[in-house]
Amino acid sequence: MIEYDDIDNRMVLKLVYYGPALSGKTTNLLRLHDILASEGRGDLMVLDTRDDRTIFFDLLPFFMIAPGGLRIKVKVYTVPGQVRHDATRKAVLQRADGVAFIADSREAEMANNFESFENLERNLAFVGLDIAAVPLVLQFNKRDMVDIQPEDEIRKKWSPTGIPVIMASALEGWGVVETFRALAGMVYDAVDRRYSLKEAQGLDKKVFVENLSHRSDCDAHKDNEGVAPPPQRHDT
Amino acid sequence: MNHPGDIEHVFGADKKLGDIVRRDEILPLLEQAAALGGIMLSVTGADGGVIASAGEEPDMDFITDRREVMIEGEPSGTVIARGDAEDAERLRGVAGMVHAALAVIVASNMKRVLTTDLHTSVVRQSYTELIKTNRRLAASEAQYRELAGKLELMVAERTKELQQAHTRLLQQEKMASIGQLAAGVAHEINNPMGFITSNINTLGRYAGRMREMLNVLREMAAQRFSGADSEFVDRRWRTTRMDHILADIDDLVHQSLEGAERVKKIVADLKGFSHIDDGQEVLTDLNAEIDRTLSVLAHEIPPDAEIARQYGVIPGFKCNPALVCQAFLNIILNAVQARGAGLKLLINTAGDDEGRIVITITDNGPGIPPEIIARVFDPFFTTKDVGAGTGMGLAVVYDVIHRYGGETGVESEPGMGTTFTIRLPAAAGGETGDVALR
Repeated sequence: MIEYDDIDNRMVLKLVYYGPALSGKTTNLLRLHDILASEGRGDLMVLDTRDDRTIFFDLLPFFMIAPGGLRIKVKVYTVPGQVRHDATRKAVLQRADGVAFIADSREAEMANNFESFENLERNLAFVGLDIAAVPLVLQFNKRDMVDIQPEDEIRKKWSPTGIPVIMASALEGWGVVETFRALAGMVYDAVDRRYSLKEAQGLDKKVFVENLSHRSDCDAHKDNEGVAPPPQRHDT
Repeated sequence: MNHPGDIEHVFGADKKLGDIVRRDEILPLLEQAAALGGIMLSVTGADGGVIASAGEEPDMDFITDRREVMIEGEPSGTVIARGDAEDAERLRGVAGMVHAALAVIVASNMKRVLTTDLHTSVVRQSYTELIKTNRRLAASEAQYRELAGKLELMVAERTKELQQAHTRLLQQEKMASIGQLAAGVAHEINNPMGFITSNINTLGRYAGRMREMLNVLREMAAQRFSGADSEFVDRRWRTTRMDHILADIDDLVHQSLEGAERVKKIVADLKGFSHIDDGQEVLTDLNAEIDRTLSVLAHEIPPDAEIARQYGVIPGFKCNPALVCQAFLNIILNAVQARGAGLKLLINTAGDDEGRIVITITDNGPGIPPEIIARVFDPFFTTKDVGAGTGMGLAVVYDVIHRYGGETGVESEPGMGTTFTIRLPAAAGGETGDVALR
């Protein structure tokens, strides 16, 4: 948590999109920005990049006021995936309330995913967070590509960890909101345990998640084609 | 948090409008816009505090246009425009323009502020890590330096230990060969010596009887013979020098027996010196061992040498006598070799107040030059010609004495002589008299 001020009655949460280089972290935020309603959120801030590669971070801020009056800001960040920007990742990861790990589904990228996940674990420990305790969801992105690892294999591999796994194509726009909602739900649970959002603020999980992720009206008609995952493909 | 020092610099901390835009930055915009519209313009933060303001407050009948300034989706300030109610449209137009311009400035500044924040955070963290790394490297460098420094000492120590072990092994091997040889020779010599001694004894007895018989015969001849016969016997008695023979024969037998005894003793000493029978540590009378050593060395010691033994009453010492004998031998042999004719050797043994045994061996040889005296106990150090000395003699002394917890010392005055001192620790055991000698 970046900040909690009970006198000022405000709370600032930090969610971080983590993952290997070019796995689609920025694209996830771009899609959220496109899909979600503009009320209650700020503009997507994409900091200076070089060749479309994130070198600082991207930021998509949300803002809501709980029925109990608590002003909650949720800042969603991406980190640069390239190995060389490790110091930046550590800085962004500081006091994170939740992490969405964006993995690249392509077979060839599995080693990079693994390495980046290890890096996440190490950096969480560096900033004093326990990977077993911090809310964490895992998104396998780029499901629109051909040379990808089959979903059942991924699920078989990851289900023992208990980490929620979500298939997505940020490019096509599906799975992105689900990832965000899953993470938001877990973050709500974690924050609620410590700050009694429901009891003290009358803010329940459904409202919290809905406030963060309601879709813009003009996009409503697109929901079926753009946002919902397409029927399961059977590549074999 | 792991890094309490960084808490103030948590990346992502919320910004107030006043943190992002400064008065000087937006004042020109407000002034120009206020002049353009003939209105009053001000920008306030979320707490209502004025950040910048321009234009005159209208006197009467004015309207107010308020527009929220958003930061990260959260209302964080307000653009307030006040102007003549009659010119409401212009008021809204100018207010809208200022609000839009302010939004651009806020967004742009926000990026700069966030980038700077991140950069600061990263630099701070990298610097901290560098300092840590530096400290770690410095510590490890110090450690390696210390190791490197110690390494030489350790190598020197180990080398010395190895040399001593080598010396000991050489010595043991030598003693083993000497022992085997001595045992074989002793056995071979003792057998013939046995019957030689026995036969000489018998021969002596026979000789006695023959003398008795000869004397009887001679007396009878003197009584019975006369004239030419008597003269013949007398003459033959004299020409065969029978008186002399009869007188000498006992001496001969006696000397032969003495000689045989000496051979037996030499063999026994040789055998005892090599201690082929016992490699064990036993309670040893060191005075007796020095005697034994001297008798083994008898043939090396020049006839005119004066050897003074001043033996004190010393306790028995638990050791392997063969090794201790070897130590004595090496010191005495050095003295003998250092001075041929006119050697005076003083061997002193004594017990000191603390029950230690102190043995000094002093010669009147040429002495040891001060520049090498510190090295005389070093293995392989020799002043003799190549091939003449092994450099092991005194190294063995050092090794043997130190093995039994003792100390070796040497003092020398060139031209006057050298004194070797051996101190052996007090050990359980009675006086010399109580020692069960082999």
